[in-house]
Amino acid sequence: MTAPVRLGLLRLTDSAPAVLAQASGLFAAEGLDVALHVEPSWANVADKLAFGLLDAAIMLPPLALAAVAGLRGSHAKLIVPMGISLGGNAVVLGGPAAAALPGDFADARAAGHAFATWLRSQSQPPRFAVVHVFSTHNLLLRHWLAEAGIDSDRHLEIVVVPPGQVVNELAAGRIAGFCAGAPWGEAAADRGAGRVLLGSSAIRPDHAEKCLTMVASWAASRPETAAALMRALHRAQSLCDDAARAPALAALLADRLSLPETATRAALAGGSGIEKIRFAGATAIARADALWFFAEMRRWGWLEPATDVATLATQVYRPDLLPTMAIG
Amino acid sequence: VKILLADDDADRARYLVRALTRDRSVTVECTVNGELLADAVAAHAPDVVLVDMTRPDRDALEGVRLLSLSRPHSVVLFVDEDDPAFMEEAIGAGVCSYNVGSVAPSEVKPVLRAAVALFRRHQQTKLALDQAQARLHERAIVDRAKAILIRERRLSEPDAYRWLQRQAMATGRRILDVAQSVVQAKEDPP
Repeated sequence: MTAPVRLGLLRLTDSAPAVLAQASGLFAAEGLDVALHVEPSWANVADKLAFGLLDAAIMLPPLALAAVAGLRGSHAKLIVPMGISLGGNAVVLGGPAAAALPGDFADARAAGHAFATWLRSQSQPPRFAVVHVFSTHNLLLRHWLAEAGIDSDRHLEIVVVPPGQVVNELAAGRIAGFCAGAPWGEAAADRGAGRVLLGSSAIRPDHAEKCLTMVASWAASRPETAAALMRALHRAQSLCDDAARAPALAALLADRLSLPETATRAALAGGSGIEKIRFAGATAIARADALWFFAEMRRWGWLEPATDVATLATQVYRPDLLPTMAIG
Repeated sequence: VKILLADDDADRARYLVRALTRDRSVTVECTVNGELLADAVAAHAPDVVLVDMTRPDRDALEGVRLLSLSRPHSVVLFVDEDDPAFMEEAIGAGVCSYNVGSVAPSEVKPVLRAAVALFRRHQQTKLALDQAQARLHERAIVDRAKAILIRERRLSEPDAYRWLQRQAMATGRRILDVAQSVVQAKEDPP
């Protein structure tokens, strides 16, 4: 008996491939015994990977990169061998901001300029929530606002609120808006707490969202298990993109992760949401993505000037493992 | 050392405050329910933040300096690089510690060590309690099944138990599972 694979994830729609692979027996078909660990915070996922309490996780790519670069206190040894999802985040405005920006916008640029005008008219920098400092959400939001001439460190106050709490915070008026993953954007709209201004794919089309992160020493010591895990997740990704299966998938996620089912359905294939998650197209990763995340972190002054991002990106992003371990 | 304690378990928090304040140089503040962790840090300006790892808002402490220039100090997860076993123990126990500004590791480690000990004891107590409750629950189901067998099959109590035992042996199931199906068959007849 080998130890089960401890796979970490959060209560989010894009955890779907792991939840489906477990429920539909795709892990078992690969001879895998997988224990899903639903963690309450991204920090828990990062710490448990760093100190050997998880073997792998569905992860935010910038957080994996930050952990390896030592931005969380120690240099974790992690690798990213495959992507899990593309897109799926929503920029949501609460009552006052939504009222100031009525109607639809042609594109992210137009929405950005309208939002910038509203921001500049505020006497106090409005509070905006993201889910973690080293999140795709924070980097995409800042990138989008910078295009509209907004300095996110000056014109707004960015705070971190856990994804499961953003809707409440918005409804209570303690934040002016947020950028978070599905289902929380649609959940806020369903509750009448805010409106989805735009999806993150409008900011950066087909942007990498979640990735599979593995503890480097674990992947090296159990290469067959790591390959089997990737194969099972890859099969699950194809199923997750099937619109015909989406209602059942939304019900499964609602059951296993206690997510609001309607809002979860909206972000899956064929759903009614503005922003939808794609899974199968995410499998193959590119180092260019790691370099983009690093460049954005550098832009905001988060990296030591001497940080060798090219070497780090090569160490962490291992697109070479996919054909040799999993698909080939 | 000024400590901010973020623990939603009021009992555990009370014990921990008592344990930590035995050292007269230590003061402890506790977060209020519903308060955002980052706001509590800004309000109390502690040196150390002890956080229950089951709190989802722990993410709010990560890289606080990065998020806003209005806060003067960086908030950094305490990691003892030289003692990975201790770090693993702390995470296993479910508690972690953040330094606000510059605090010497020699001041933080005893605080975190005390918290880890208390969280571990709490975990063990809870585990023992859960096991005791599970055993009680199992006993209750077997008793209900026996009562049904005594009534319906007119068996004596020892015979009812032996009947459950025989069924378990014959079908390769646990006595509890057999008892469960007896109770279920009675409660929702097909």
